[in-house]
Amino acid sequence: MAVAHTIYGEGLESFYQRQLPAGERPEFLSVNDGIPQSLLVYDDPILQTRFIKELSSQESQTVLSLEKIRCAACVWLCDHHLKRVKGILDVQINYVTLKAIITFDPQKILLSQILYEVQRIGYLAWPYEPSDLAIRSKVERRKLLFRLGVALLGMMQVMMYAWPIYTNSDDLTPENNLLLNWTSWLLTVPVVFYSAAPIFSGAWSSVRSFYRTRSLGMDVPIALALGLAFVVGTINLLIGDGPSYFDSITMFVAFTLGARYIELIARQDAQSGSEALAKQLPASCERFIDYPRSNAVERVPVVRCITGDVLRIAPGEIIPADGVLMSSCTSVSEALLTGESRPVHKKTADLLYAGTHNIQNSIAIRVTAIGQTTRLAGIAILLDRALQAKPPMLGLAEIWSSRFVVLLILAAFMSSAVWLILDSSRAWPVLLGVLVASCPCALSLAIPTAMAAAQGTLTQLGLFVIHGRALEGLSKADTLVMDKTGTLTVGEPCLQTIVTLRSGYSENEVLQIAAGMGEGQNHPFSLAIKQVIKERNLAEKIFKKVSENHLGRGLSNESYRLGNANWVGVEDLDHSENRQRSYIYLADEHGPIAELSFLDTPREGVDYLLEYAKNAGMSVFLLSGDTADTVKAWAQYHGIDRYQGGASPEDKFKFIKQLQEHGSTVCALGDGINDAPFLAKANVSIAMGSGAPLAAAGADAVLMSPNLLVLVQAFKLSKRTQRIIRQNLIWAFIYNITVIPVAIMAWINPWIAGIGMALSSLIVTLNAWRLRKV
Amino acid sequence: MESLYLLIPLSLLVVAGLAYFLYWSIQGGQFDDLKGPGESILLDDDAPQRKDPS
Repeated sequence: MAVAHTIYGEGLESFYQRQLPAGERPEFLSVNDGIPQSLLVYDDPILQTRFIKELSSQESQTVLSLEKIRCAACVWLCDHHLKRVKGILDVQINYVTLKAIITFDPQKILLSQILYEVQRIGYLAWPYEPSDLAIRSKVERRKLLFRLGVALLGMMQVMMYAWPIYTNSDDLTPENNLLLNWTSWLLTVPVVFYSAAPIFSGAWSSVRSFYRTRSLGMDVPIALALGLAFVVGTINLLIGDGPSYFDSITMFVAFTLGARYIELIARQDAQSGSEALAKQLPASCERFIDYPRSNAVERVPVVRCITGDVLRIAPGEIIPADGVLMSSCTSVSEALLTGESRPVHKKTADLLYAGTHNIQNSIAIRVTAIGQTTRLAGIAILLDRALQAKPPMLGLAEIWSSRFVVLLILAAFMSSAVWLILDSSRAWPVLLGVLVASCPCALSLAIPTAMAAAQGTLTQLGLFVIHGRALEGLSKADTLVMDKTGTLTVGEPCLQTIVTLRSGYSENEVLQIAAGMGEGQNHPFSLAIKQVIKERNLAEKIFKKVSENHLGRGLSNESYRLGNANWVGVEDLDHSENRQRSYIYLADEHGPIAELSFLDTPREGVDYLLEYAKNAGMSVFLLSGDTADTVKAWAQYHGIDRYQGGASPEDKFKFIKQLQEHGSTVCALGDGINDAPFLAKANVSIAMGSGAPLAAAGADAVLMSPNLLVLVQAFKLSKRTQRIIRQNLIWAFIYNITVIPVAIMAWINPWIAGIGMALSSLIVTLNAWRLRKV
Repeated sequence: MESLYLLIPLSLLVVAGLAYFLYWSIQGGQFDDLKGPGESILLDDDAPQRKDPS
């Protein structure tokens, strides 16, 4: 409502005509009246210097990264809403990167207010600090584009000068001929020395490391052919005899760079996805004001914390600094650091590392090391892993093609030597022809271009691929194992009923105890209870200590226990009428106190996913820690035949192990908080991004979109990716196999070889490019 | 064919001009976002002006 009010109030209601149909609409946030605490920290002077650039005393500039934007209408709304906010002077939104450059008057408006204004219309924004990687990739893209442009211009002009020489050479006087040839040379110089510079430097570094790696890169034969052709062409021009090759050289460079540029764009698209993921690391944290005497915390920017501060970290949160655990035990996932996503158990006085994430209990840590470096180190590791993780197949193709290059260069010189004996006039064209035509560029591009294009598309759909193996896994998965809470359902249950089982307790008292126990917990039930507490204006019971979390079973604090019937030790009541609800119980040492019931709503697109799985012949399992009855009801509601309720994380882990022992390839979907081991065990795992930010560090991919339909598209896309990779490999292989004998037999001249080689790369790249459309 | 002596240097000048123009537009960021400007022309500001929220 608040969002609609804002939109209408500003006369922006035409947004509703422009936006996409329901379902594609952004999920509007519930926005309170004031600016939330988590945004106010951005007004801290230290953070300001990082995010805001001062242009003059009345003008500052900041770059915001926008989220939840789905369509052009969303951009339009953001743009127009922000422009109408007092104090904002100018707004520029880039549609592709979704970065907004905002110029504002710092005397009239603060950064937190700007962020809040974006939230008010239902989107998310946070200050964007361009990483080195982003800046580098932008420069790289621009440079390569200009190199390509120079090569294309050179190619066009040289062709034009070559035309009269080829067609009307009889009409040309020797002076004219000389003029045309020298002009061609003049235009070839920048193409060879500027446009082709990366090819030469790549070849040089590959040759230098040959002793260590025993393999040569794709650049070597290309650079060799280019260099030889240019030198010989220039010599021929000077002595006034023989072909000049300038038209072949420029065309070859232009085509090769064209294929590389397309590959670069596809690769960088995939990169920006992992960067967006890394941006979810916290900029602020909760600091205890007076630990351990009180549990009061304040939210402060991480950069403000110093060594010795005590921070509170809720389950599911990233630990922002290295520190010593002060409170009782917890489990953390150190997946970011070690790649092992199985949670590591930590006791009091154990060391916790920045960038790992807390899974189990709300904890207190004393900071031992902090700084931008630790946080950025975390980001760097994540990014590097995302970009370096190569699927096994890719590694194989690379090894093969690099060995091939050494053989190829040997073959080129040997065949040229043989021709020198047979017919010395042919030796030279054969050398160039073999070097150029049979370069296994297409082979080496076949897989990476397809992977990059597919990852870019998935990122745009809202599925961030973290491990390269995810795509391969998705295409092979024949079993789908789903968690219930947060996966099959939205994971935002609402409290339905409270039944007090013992006299002397009122509904409100029960709520107060439950909310107090849930303090600092991120479990959906705790959040639902907190919501009700807020609505009823109650104060939660204050406990001395933070509750202990018995992963997947419940919470305990003092003598109270809150959790599922089995664990609390209560007879389950009869729920035959409302089976889809989840029930938890509050009890103490004297027995049960109350029963709370929650109802969750199914996730959008569940039916599409299940229907797809059925048609594709995948078996679907529903596994949940919820009671068997509830799980059964949900499974029947969605038509899932196989289900298991009351499964602990260990049960889930074993279940997947069993499936795998029977030869299944398992794709696991979970919300990433309690499912870490289960996700790690599966062949391919997808975590729901809305569960806990980055909780999914151990998963292969993170679903950022709330709609499960994206997964159907991902499954289809992964199958297509595998198909396209296979096509590419077959094509590249056939090309190389056929063209080498042809070139050795001197049936083609260098310029045809150049076209052939560049075209084969271009075909492979363009074939992969098809994956950019869903 | 004497015209070649004039036309070919001229064509070189044109190429140099084009290359500079390309450089200028790439550095100006015109190739960074190829989608946005095309969309934004359709979403021009023809909405009514701000009214007070009722």
